Amino acid sequence: MINNINYQKNNPHKVMQLLIDGQIKTIDALNMLCEIEKCNNTSLKSEDDGQLEDVMKELDELVGQIKVKQLVRELQAFVEIQKKREEEQLLTEPQVLHMIFKGNPGTGKTTVARLLGKMFKHMNILQKGHTIEVERADMVGEYIGHTAQKTREQIKRALGGILFIDEAYSLARGGEKDFGKEAIDTLVKAMEDHKDNLIVILAGYKDEMERFLQVNPGLRSRFPIIMDFNDYTINELIQIAELMVKNREYKFLPSTLDKLEKILINHHNGKYYDKMGNARLVRNIIEKAIRMQAVRLINEKTISREDLIYLKPEDISYINIE
Amino acid sequence: MKKCTIIGKTNVGKTLFLINFAGYLGLKFLDISLCDDKKILKKYKLSINQAIYELVNDQTHKTRCLQSIIVDVPMGKGKKKLQLIDTVGLIDGIHSNIEIRKAISHTLTIVRVSDIILHIVDAASAGRDELPSSMGEVDYQLAQFAQLKRGYAILANKMDLPDAKEGLDKIKSEFSGNLIIPISALHKKGFKEVRTFVAHNI
Repeated sequence: MINNINYQKNNPHKVMQLLIDGQIKTIDALNMLCEIEKCNNTSLKSEDDGQLEDVMKELDELVGQIKVKQLVRELQAFVEIQKKREEEQLLTEPQVLHMIFKGNPGTGKTTVARLLGKMFKHMNILQKGHTIEVERADMVGEYIGHTAQKTREQIKRALGGILFIDEAYSLARGGEKDFGKEAIDTLVKAMEDHKDNLIVILAGYKDEMERFLQVNPGLRSRFPIIMDFNDYTINELIQIAELMVKNREYKFLPSTLDKLEKILINHHNGKYYDKMGNARLVRNIIEKAIRMQAVRLINEKTISREDLIYLKPEDISYINIE
Repeated sequence: MKKCTIIGKTNVGKTLFLINFAGYLGLKFLDISLCDDKKILKKYKLSINQAIYELVNDQTHKTRCLQSIIVDVPMGKGKKKLQLIDTVGLIDGIHSNIEIRKAISHTLTIVRVSDIILHIVDAASAGRDELPSSMGEVDYQLAQFAQLKRGYAILANKMDLPDAKEGLDKIKSEFSGNLIIPISALHKKGFKEVRTFVAHNI
């Protein structure tokens, strides 16, 4: 009998049944429920730890960007060790984690920012770990005094997470009299005020960001972490394409892949390549291909499962960007 | 809607607290629903006085199934709805009646999922151990369990009776670390603190 009860005491329903059957006292039932509750609490915690691994796995799944991945791992190790040092009451470096992301569109800046948010949340650096994406128009106002107010509003939304400012260089575009300067000043102030609970990431094209930092020399020291996002190689783009169709439950025919490669090489040599958005270009090509496949299939009388899955070479075409 | 469960040993005044607290929050009539672990058995409407007359007396296990009412708790400028659940009294040992055992099991099930737990202890008989409502093992175990939840408070009831002062001191020393609010369910004393605690935890 005792064994039986031991076996059943991990299941609240069984505990209740024992209670109804008069086999255990109310106190025993409460005691068992207490244990169950404690177990649940601890298992929740270990689930959280698992999630940090999930985030790192997600990071590893990103195609290419080896340097960025390395830097993220460095950051994770740094933060973890600083925490350990603090526990041993050793001196710790102040954790300034504001960053600058440099790279062309579609190289994964936003994706990495979101992952960092999640990662820091699991490491208890950030409270919420959400990412707020803003651009110049969200921060710069129309009249004097308006900008500080708007910027502060965005900062307030981002507290506990990451404020990701896309095309940040545009804040310094209009020269001395532009309100963008006011936005930068407000931002710098807020970074000081909320340094324990806010991470700011400035993102933009490589050259423009360089110029932006030259114009505002004080910013460089406030953003000690700089990540360079390189353009993807053709091979990496193909890998990304394969991943994208796999996630959408489509497949390429081998001949489709050949054609895709040709198209990508052509785009690569084109004049506007760096503005075309790398991985985003691939996504646009694939989304168009999926639409073309649908058009091709809709007039056919019988459609097989294979027809629905495979993308043929004729579905893929150039994307006109001019 | 959040659930607030009133729990304690038999005869400590859970039902009286439910009725008078609902009255304190401004209800004139109580829409009481009775339920067992599967469904709502019965719904009826009573005035406060009728409810006290019909539902409260000094027998043990007067309440034989869970009865709940919905109240509005003032919060800042607005109000929030809260389900107040009155439960069946707990006992230290095993009760001989299967109905009551079932009801106790249902009570524990509800406690597991409630957001707020108000644990009523009889302060007037805390020093003695011969009454069914005196503090017992089940109270300690209940506190152990309910501590794991966020909204847990102990209400030391029957503060209007003699001996209650010593009882309160005993409760304070036995359950130190928990929030203990002295009340009198009969005279509606200490309800303001209870309301603040409840509003804080919704």
